[in-house]
Amino acid sequence: MLPVYGTKIYTSKVVDGNEVIDSADYTIPPFSFVNQDSVVVNNETVKGKIYVADFFFTSCPSICPKMKKEMLRVYEKYKANNEVIILSFSIDPARDTVARLKNYSGKLGLENSSKWHMLTGEKDSIYAIAASFLVSAAEDPNAPGGHVHSGNFILVDKQSRLRGYYDGTKTESVDKLLGDIDILLQEKQP
Amino acid sequence: MKKLIRYLAPLTIVLIAAIFIYNIVTNGYIQHPGKTSYQKECAQCHGDKGEGIKSLIPPLIDADFAIQNIDSIPCWIKNGLNHPITVNGKLYDQPMYPISIDEIQTANIINYISREFLKNKTEVNSAWVKEKWNNCP
Ligand code: HEC
Repeated sequence: MLPVYGTKIYTSKVVDGNEVIDSADYTIPPFSFVNQDSVVVNNETVKGKIYVADFFFTSCPSICPKMKKEMLRVYEKYKANNEVIILSFSIDPARDTVARLKNYSGKLGLENSSKWHMLTGEKDSIYAIAASFLVSAAEDPNAPGGHVHSGNFILVDKQSRLRGYYDGTKTESVDKLLGDIDILLQEKQP
Repeated sequence: MKKLIRYLAPLTIVLIAAIFIYNIVTNGYIQHPGKTSYQKECAQCHGDKGEGIKSLIPPLIDADFAIQNIDSIPCWIKNGLNHPITVNGKLYDQPMYPISIDEIQTANIINYISREFLKNKTEVNSAWVKEKWNNCP
């Protein structure tokens, strides 16, 4: 059983004259971005899917190539399984246009953009979604490439709940992710 | 007492030798000095085995481009490399950014990749790196 991250949301309601407290797990709020094929990717796209998210930018000089190499392992393993997809959000959306993302995904040899979406959109919405995954992304002129971002891979389940964090620059950590995806795939849906 | 020492001395020598060999084998005491620097500064992109990443990052293993331009490697490390290049028949066009390391580390890394990946006998030193740096394009 994998943990569920994020603060639970409590609501109270009155049932038969008694107050009962109801709790709901934290879920990723609705979002909308476009991918390398100009296709809109939003909360409907990920509905009922397990997905792995990360943050990067195409001109990133430091950890991104290694993260992409590790993400390719996820891509290869679940290529034929349409229950699992990948979302990579660009934190430099102004420069990372659809055309640039297309070029980058081509260099990684991705044939199937509906398996691995590389996303761009409004900068504020990107930062907001990073915050909703409980990771950081920000501009920083002193950082290599002008942006800081976490190297995390984030595992989200079919109900949009946060189920795991992994270091996308470490092979052993990504081994754990691959195992955890298999665990999630076995999980019974409500 | 004397007898004991006579027995223990050779035993100790054998033991020390065994530990020494064990260290060489497991920790690579005779590891190339450029290996750690390579792993820290280059491997995240070019890979532990110099294999590169798909069409994003070129390989170093048997890379014709690097073999033919070994004299330029110090300047690529110092100033980056940012124009389309062809490595072993494949086109690459992704910037490599400048890496701030000193001439000793640079020389060690170049010797390491020459031996390990380029299968080239070139041995360079920090003075050679300095000289190349003074003549970067
Ligand atoms: C952030 C990723 C990154 C890092 C770190 C990096 N490189 Fe590169 N390297 C590249 C890219 C991308 C190219 C292709 C540049 C181009 O297309 O203009 C390249 C090209 C090269 C080439 C020439 C092409 C070839 O494969 O023969 C050599 C040699 C090279 N790098 C050596 C190094 C060495 C040595 C280090 C460590 C000191 C290093 N690189 C660190 C990304 C990187």
